[in-house]
Amino acid sequence: MAGEAASLEVEGPLSEAAQAELLELCEEQFAHLEKLQNELLLCEPHFSDSPQEQMQNRLMATEAELKKRQTEEPQLLAGNPDILLHAGKEEVLKLCSQLETVLSCCQAKRDKLRETKELEQKWLEEKTQVLKAAKNHVEQLQKEKEDISVHSMLQDIKEKIQKMKAYQETLMECLGDILEKHVPLPQMEAGPSRRKKSADSQISQELVSLSEILEVLMNKALQSPHDPYVIVDETFWPPYVEMLLRYGMAVRHQENSFKIRLGAFF
Amino acid sequence: MSRLNPFAKLPGLNTASVLLVESEEHFQQSLAEALVEETSVTVNVRLAKSFPLPIENDESRPRIDLVVFIINLTSELSFQSAEASLKYLEPGYFLGKVCFMVTNARSSSVPAERLDAVRRLAASLHCPLLFAEEQTPQGVTNAAERLLTILKAAAGFVPFTTPLYLSNLTRCTLPPDIDQPSFD
Repeated sequence: MAGEAASLEVEGPLSEAAQAELLELCEEQFAHLEKLQNELLLCEPHFSDSPQEQMQNRLMATEAELKKRQTEEPQLLAGNPDILLHAGKEEVLKLCSQLETVLSCCQAKRDKLRETKELEQKWLEEKTQVLKAAKNHVEQLQKEKEDISVHSMLQDIKEKIQKMKAYQETLMECLGDILEKHVPLPQMEAGPSRRKKSADSQISQELVSLSEILEVLMNKALQSPHDPYVIVDETFWPPYVEMLLRYGMAVRHQENSFKIRLGAFF
Repeated sequence: MSRLNPFAKLPGLNTASVLLVESEEHFQQSLAEALVEETSVTVNVRLAKSFPLPIENDESRPRIDLVVFIINLTSELSFQSAEASLKYLEPGYFLGKVCFMVTNARSSSVPAERLDAVRRLAASLHCPLLFAEEQTPQGVTNAAERLLTILKAAAGFVPFTTPLYLSNLTRCTLPPDIDQPSFD
């Protein structure tokens, strides 16, 4: 109580009468405090160290506090409206700042929950899609089981082969595009050196592209697996052959260095 | 045996005094610096290694409103020192004017039994048990804030609250299965 009154004094410009009243109130409270303190010192403490008794003491103290609280009548801080205004203002400001803290805390929590909700919804969506796909698969399997026949199987396999062929086609096209873009024929690079062009062009006319070299190698490996070697002639540009050899895509014949074959990928 | 009495002296005007007890004196200083930054009341911080407190300082020592035992969980000595110091406090202190603060609880080298022992001690004395992070400045500030909340109540600055009332609500309680072997 004394502390509370003292902090009010510092707060703002109070009228003299109010200050005097407050001071008097403080004095009164302090005198009361001193009296209580003396009483406390005078009474003989008979606390004991046993936990049993400490527990009982604690219970007694709590009960006394409860009783006091129940019988206590709320008291006005002071009669002066000036003091009351100040005290009220301070209290309201404190409450305001506390409520602001609560508000920002709640907002942060809400945002977090919203984020979590979005994540969960995304997860749910994914899971429903998975469920749908699985259901479709189950349905298909059941249908197949019901009307399985030679004809339908044949049809199925034909379809699958068709699909695979289309897929292979796209793969080959893709490969061709890549080769064309990144490993062009040497004649395209020889643009700026015009002086040499006449001599170069004659040779490069006969050169084949890297994709053709690969094609020859692959065809040879598939058509005659017992003798997959291809003879390196002048239409193969030597740097390409060197590259294929270096990266292990092609292997040189052990005895004849003019022969190469496709590396064993399978 | 001279014991610390919670009501031996008159309280200072608008002042709250806290006594930090730590045998190793690692955390005391930084915590004290964070505590005195409070502006609404004058916070008086006293430091001690252990009890009993030296008699020659008896005159200058203010009325201690709150005794905080800081226990470093990585050291057995820290716990033993705090336990031995408890008997130098008047039982009146245990009505809401003592609290325990544990540091280094997250360290992996801490045996689980030691934390259990501290909890048991705090629960048997009906005192609150706080956990603090001493490594980071934010951890120190947080620890100081939590201590200040208790200190203000213990020093009587919070209307309609008493230290006993607060400690009845915040005292450490033991989980019922603390004696059972854990599986981790």
